[in-house]
Amino acid sequence: MNPYRVIGKSVPKKESWDKVSGRVKYVDDNQEVGTLHVKLLTSHYAHAYIKKVDTEEARKVQGVHAIVTGKDYPLLIGTTIKDRPLLAFDKVRYYGEPIAMVIADTEAIAIQAVTLIHVNYELLPVVNSSLQAYQKGAPLVHERLEEYLIDQENETTGTSGGIRPIPGTNIANRQGIRKGNTDEGFAQSDFIVEEVFSFPQSDHTAIETRCSDVEIKKNGDVIIHSASQEPFEMRELISETFNIDQGKVHVHIPLVGGSFGAKTSVQLEPLAYVASKSVGGRRVRLRNSREEDIVTSAVHIGLHAKIKMGCTKDGKLQAVKFLFLFDGGAYAERAVPISKAAAFDCTGPYAIDNVWCDSLCMYTNHPYATDFRGFGRTEAAFGVERTMDILAHKVGLCPLEFRLINAIQPGDTSPTQVLLNRSNLGDIKECILKLKELIDWDQGQRIKISDRKVRAKGISCAWKNGDPPPGVGAGAVLTFTSEGGVLINSAAVEIGQGTKTVLTQMVAEKMRMSVHDVNIQMEVNTQLNPESWETAASRTTFLSGNAVLRAVADAVNQLKRTASVVLNVPAEELVVANKKVFKKTAPQISIDFSEIVYGYIFPDGTVAGTQVIGRGSYIIPGLTEMNPETGKGVQGPEWNVVAQAVEVEFDKRDNTFTLIRAITVADAGTVLNYKGAETQVMGAMNQGLSFATREGFIYDDEGKVLTTQFRSYKVMHYGEQPEYIVRFIENPVKGSPFGSRGLGEHGIMGMPAAVANSLSIAAKVPLNQLPLTPEFIWKTRLQRGGGSNASL
Amino acid sequence: MLHYNIDYYEPSSISEAVKLFDKLDKEGKKPLYLAGGTEILTLGRLNQIYTKAVIDVKGIPDCNVQGLHRNSVVVGAALTLTQIFEAGVFPFLGEACVRIADRTSRNQITLGGNLASDIIYREAVLPLLLTDATIVIAGNDGIRHVPIHQIFNETLCLNPGEFVVQIIADSQYTKMPFVIEKKRKSERVDYPLLTLAVLKTDSSIRAGFSGLCAFPFRSSAMEKELNNTSLTLKERVDSAIRLIPAPVIQDIRGSRDYRLFVLQYTLLDALTDLEGVRL
Repeated sequence: MNPYRVIGKSVPKKESWDKVSGRVKYVDDNQEVGTLHVKLLTSHYAHAYIKKVDTEEARKVQGVHAIVTGKDYPLLIGTTIKDRPLLAFDKVRYYGEPIAMVIADTEAIAIQAVTLIHVNYELLPVVNSSLQAYQKGAPLVHERLEEYLIDQENETTGTSGGIRPIPGTNIANRQGIRKGNTDEGFAQSDFIVEEVFSFPQSDHTAIETRCSDVEIKKNGDVIIHSASQEPFEMRELISETFNIDQGKVHVHIPLVGGSFGAKTSVQLEPLAYVASKSVGGRRVRLRNSREEDIVTSAVHIGLHAKIKMGCTKDGKLQAVKFLFLFDGGAYAERAVPISKAAAFDCTGPYAIDNVWCDSLCMYTNHPYATDFRGFGRTEAAFGVERTMDILAHKVGLCPLEFRLINAIQPGDTSPTQVLLNRSNLGDIKECILKLKELIDWDQGQRIKISDRKVRAKGISCAWKNGDPPPGVGAGAVLTFTSEGGVLINSAAVEIGQGTKTVLTQMVAEKMRMSVHDVNIQMEVNTQLNPESWETAASRTTFLSGNAVLRAVADAVNQLKRTASVVLNVPAEELVVANKKVFKKTAPQISIDFSEIVYGYIFPDGTVAGTQVIGRGSYIIPGLTEMNPETGKGVQGPEWNVVAQAVEVEFDKRDNTFTLIRAITVADAGTVLNYKGAETQVMGAMNQGLSFATREGFIYDDEGKVLTTQFRSYKVMHYGEQPEYIVRFIENPVKGSPFGSRGLGEHGIMGMPAAVANSLSIAAKVPLNQLPLTPEFIWKTRLQRGGGSNASL
Repeated sequence: MLHYNIDYYEPSSISEAVKLFDKLDKEGKKPLYLAGGTEILTLGRLNQIYTKAVIDVKGIPDCNVQGLHRNSVVVGAALTLTQIFEAGVFPFLGEACVRIADRTSRNQITLGGNLASDIIYREAVLPLLLTDATIVIAGNDGIRHVPIHQIFNETLCLNPGEFVVQIIADSQYTKMPFVIEKKRKSERVDYPLLTLAVLKTDSSIRAGFSGLCAFPFRSSAMEKELNNTSLTLKERVDSAIRLIPAPVIQDIRGSRDYRLFVLQYTLLDALTDLEGVRL
């Protein structure tokens, strides 16, 4: 069925052996003699005026080179609304916010000195949830919203643009969706439900904590080594903030030890730049402790959502209305695009003619948020898919059947009023039907195991459009070794997703050569690599892949041109394979790449061709502005759909549960690397289950985060995971490399809802909050009456 | 990483250790005895523990014994939780140890360290409280043997300069039936919502609790109710719960009411299990 030779095969990742043998060097592994170390002093309070920062005692510590406070650099930065001080100077807005930094000979000395800095605070009332932030008369996190600049480039269009904070409130942005007429839709509905869903912020918990080195050379070059998903955006931000030519800002990104969106926020780099500047440009290192990585650096957004949904008695959805109050934390940063993206895809993969959504990005006195796998859809899907189950139950329909009835199809429109077709949508019905088989749906959704235990199955569907801002693209350059092997130059950041290896597969496939003869540099260097949009939104294989494929075409043309002269065969009669160019109809007439990649010299000294350098670049076509009120517009090239299921075993007495099975059926378009795709989806499922069952910040009444260590912030341990089953269907997308669809995020999106649906069925109570701890289930059952020992 | 420097000493005898402590204390070094070092490292990096000198007791032979001697079982305080569990010499203690932390940490955490911990759970004390163990303590005045109930009151009440050398229990306790249940919020590796230890002697049920209040304890009042066989099992449990000697804690792992719910069913399970053994 697979027409390809290399594409689809489980080619091991090029970096795997170094990773599993501990030989990979992440930023913090490279120690350069003479590097100074930076430590941050962070806020003890979530909301307070800074009255005084006394650094006198700290400066006396031997080995301290400099101390920088917010007053020294009263700058506001941000990639959307420029609302975030580099170091807090007038007030702190979240627990853990950086206030000052010490630069010293060693990290130990810097920590010692930090403990000797004394800060006088004047406490302010705290905004401790997005719901509270929305109330009239709530304390304001930012009093002068109207004075903030908004990133110029993002001012006009797309998911990251059109941002309009509302002064005098805690609203950083409001994105609407207005499609059809919901009043009419609800009037046509026989059944209507309205429910509230919520979960707190949480963390990405990448194994590698964020770390940055910065050095300012005497000639003004700024050398940055960092763990980041966005080298070029960082270059731009540093250049813009500190007024340095972009060409002087060198960003190096080695392999990144996990990210999940965490490393899209540029925070440590400008701090390290200022630190380096304060010590005459010497190289400095700023690395997060785990506590800082959890609370000081950007986190996963929280949500409070109200959803109203109506359908006819035969189960056809008529209208849906959403109010999303996202807990974006103290600074807008990436929380605004996330809240917008959630609105654009708010319905999930269902055909609904009447859609109303207000998605608000709220300021609170919580840590500020950045991208997290799923980018608004994981969050929205929790509410939508719970509501789907609740409504199906009310109508008396099987939840799987209910989803099939309403599954979105070619010819329907998205909430953003894009006409859908087989290419830009994928096939959610096929996913659901395959899921039905895999989860043994017909054997029953709730099965009694013993007097105490039941097994229950919950399902969910999700979709996501990879929605970068208009105008984004990628570039690639191919060069050759004298043996005829290919080297790929691409700025895709390897964060564990396997893009680098997939790019080598694409070259090997197109040039019909062995994947072993195609190499790719793991490190990204903005001085050498052609510009590429950040490695995010499951778009990297799409963008860089298209650029690489164009570079291949360019290189092959050059090879054929040279070979045509040497072999005296018209170029159009030539093909390439196995590092040779040969005549299609007479393969014995051939020449090795090794003889022509640097040009060919005839015995008489004449030359055919020059060095082969393949160039390719790509820009996504067709994206439009998104209307802030109605949401109308084309936000991305294609949607990708998944259907998921979770089976749990629930103990009715204790309210504890075990995850038994979790299943994902995803439309992959075309699978590029089977094991790579499967493990991406599986990893995302695990992350989704961990998030849904354990994770989530706990704040005290003053907004202090109490869960800043792995002692208190729990993630799923190996051995606690269920059996994972991942299957793909393949409906190719036009214009994507080999027809592939994004897969990096799709495994996570429906997991929280699927596990909540399964437990709601098992415990026979609606579970509408995360995390789903046994205590939460116990409490919900108590509140619903009948007590915890209620017969089930 | 500790951000301050410390002097490290490794004495090979008890007397050397206590003399060192005295000397370092007089020098103002705020010395601490160290065995596994997990707590000094993890709390030290947060400035919750501060010292300029540590005295490692792992090299002292008396702190490393483990075995049966006449009618007693002796366990050295410098043995790791993993060593105690794997040796199986004192199964009740071993089962309590193996529920603490995770395997990697248990390879490092010692019995003495857990008993003297600043963290409120100190679960290794539960079997010692229930078996009326004796604690062997070394200090400036030599070695003293102290009943656990005298020395352990919410915390291990050592005098300055003292450290635990060994614990000794009557060997009859190595054969009695017991139950240890550790209930956590949702993880396999976490501090307890409740750790319950129940021992069935020839004449009665004994019970110890950690994670319920701000300290681990054994309560004779609660035991009296648990042993009141004129009541039904559920009544025994409910009357015992009414006599919890201190406020039940409420924290990020669970509310007070939820802890009581967990306590109730865990006690019921344990008693059912142990009384089933009798039948």
